[in-house]
Amino acid sequence: MIVTNIEYIPGKKITQHLGMVSGNTVRAKHVGRDLMAGLKNIVGGELKGYTELLTESREEAVRRMVAQAEAIGANAVLNVRFSTSSVAAGAAELFAYGTAVVAE
Amino acid sequence: MGAYENRTVPEGINVSPVHPLKDFAVLLFGVSLSVIAFVIVLALLAGYLVRYVPFSYEQSLVSRAVAPWLEPSTDPLDQQRQRYLQSLADRLSSVMNLPDGMQVTVHYVQKDTVNAMATLGGHVVVFQGLLDVMPNENALAMVLAHEMAHVRYRHPIVATGRGFAVTLALSALAGIGDGVMERWVGQMGILPMLSFSRSQETEADALALESLQQSYGHVEGAAALFEYAAAETPVLSLPTLLATHPDHEDRIRRIQVFAQEHPPAMAPQLQPLPDYMKSKAKSNESQ
Amino acid sequence: MFELILTLVLLVIGFVFGQIAEKRHFRSIIQREAETRDLLCFNERRIPQDMFSPHVTLVCGSVVVSVDFFKHFVATLRNLVGGRVSAYESLLERARREAVLRMKAQALAQGATSVWNVRVETSSIHQGQRQGIGAVEVMAYGTALVPR
Repeated sequence: MIVTNIEYIPGKKITQHLGMVSGNTVRAKHVGRDLMAGLKNIVGGELKGYTELLTESREEAVRRMVAQAEAIGANAVLNVRFSTSSVAAGAAELFAYGTAVVAE
Repeated sequence: MGAYENRTVPEGINVSPVHPLKDFAVLLFGVSLSVIAFVIVLALLAGYLVRYVPFSYEQSLVSRAVAPWLEPSTDPLDQQRQRYLQSLADRLSSVMNLPDGMQVTVHYVQKDTVNAMATLGGHVVVFQGLLDVMPNENALAMVLAHEMAHVRYRHPIVATGRGFAVTLALSALAGIGDGVMERWVGQMGILPMLSFSRSQETEADALALESLQQSYGHVEGAAALFEYAAAETPVLSLPTLLATHPDHEDRIRRIQVFAQEHPPAMAPQLQPLPDYMKSKAKSNESQ
Repeated sequence: MFELILTLVLLVIGFVFGQIAEKRHFRSIIQREAETRDLLCFNERRIPQDMFSPHVTLVCGSVVVSVDFFKHFVATLRNLVGGRVSAYESLLERARREAVLRMKAQALAQGATSVWNVRVETSSIHQGQRQGIGAVEVMAYGTALVPR
């Protein structure tokens, strides 16, 4: 499965465009992480727990998007976009979407 | 460029296949249990550490903070009552073998509340309302010995330390959820605290009975307050799990068991309370 | 005690009505998606030469969905433990598909046959209110192509 955020695959010919596919997930970190992040807010710096949270969520969202693409018979997803938002305090939502295609 | 079409994406890829009720049950149970376990561990730790605070320090702390509130009355009758209560307490403390440096100070308060309480620094407060419902000295001695047992086991400072630690820890969680969540966690956290409180009461009852047995040779009349309270309590009372004190019936039953295990050497005699301890004595005098 | 009962009642109401509404919404989404299948929808920026027509127009659809009390409660519990907040996943899935459907409806109303460069944005509009029950806004927009 090829996943890319450009609109074509160099050196390959796209034979079929199968429509939009998407993957989303909402995740939360346990309260210890939230407390650590609250403390970190005082001194600044990277919130490792939340970086991890977002990385996990992004991977999950892409996995689900790819699962949708596979389910409709595509072998590549083009023009992938991500959108992130915090739905509730401490819970992050990650959404990935793109166009499923068949490339040769 | 190839053909363009929109194929139908199958359902259920983006939504986790968990039944909402199952998710709810697992979470609610798990969170409640962990809060309870957390509070128990914290309370035990705090209660254990706080026993290392010397009694003299506790006393000096209270003499500054609470003493003005317990200013003795200038009324001669009140002072007479106070002296009577103090001498009763001294008699009991001689059989209770209090640790070195620990003394009990009894305060008499002219109020109708049917209650007595022990607080930090060995101060025991007795209200007139309690004296009025006491049929004899033995009953009063039981209540006083119970409060003194709290002091003996240092329950007031242990409860204060526990309460402080648990409140602090639970308030750290408050920023995470919202109002409903906070209340739920708070209620779960109170459950083990109530259980600690009940076991303190039972512990104090046991020591009070021992002291009564040693002081009078029998525990006749010890259940008077609980019998009074059981009669006063409305039929619909709180379930035991949600109460700070054990059930009155249980406490009466424990006293009966104790009495059976320690049969008196001779027929038990009840000491009457002096007339001036009752509030009608005061009104007669003032007329 | 009263508070506990109130919370329980709100939970039951939230669960029953929330689930009914969600099931109904999903049914309607699936049905409308089947009806609008003919309108092609892509998020590619480049419109193929052979489809191009001079008449293009921006179409968009947006929706705001609120969390029910039950989901909110489950989500706050989940927040203590960490992990996947499945209660919110279905909410967002619904919101997103609804937004895309509304965008498609607008495109169809203008006689379009395809929508290009579709983008989806999500934002939560309850931030900062501790007691407020959350609501999310989802907006979908794209370029509709109307053949002449």
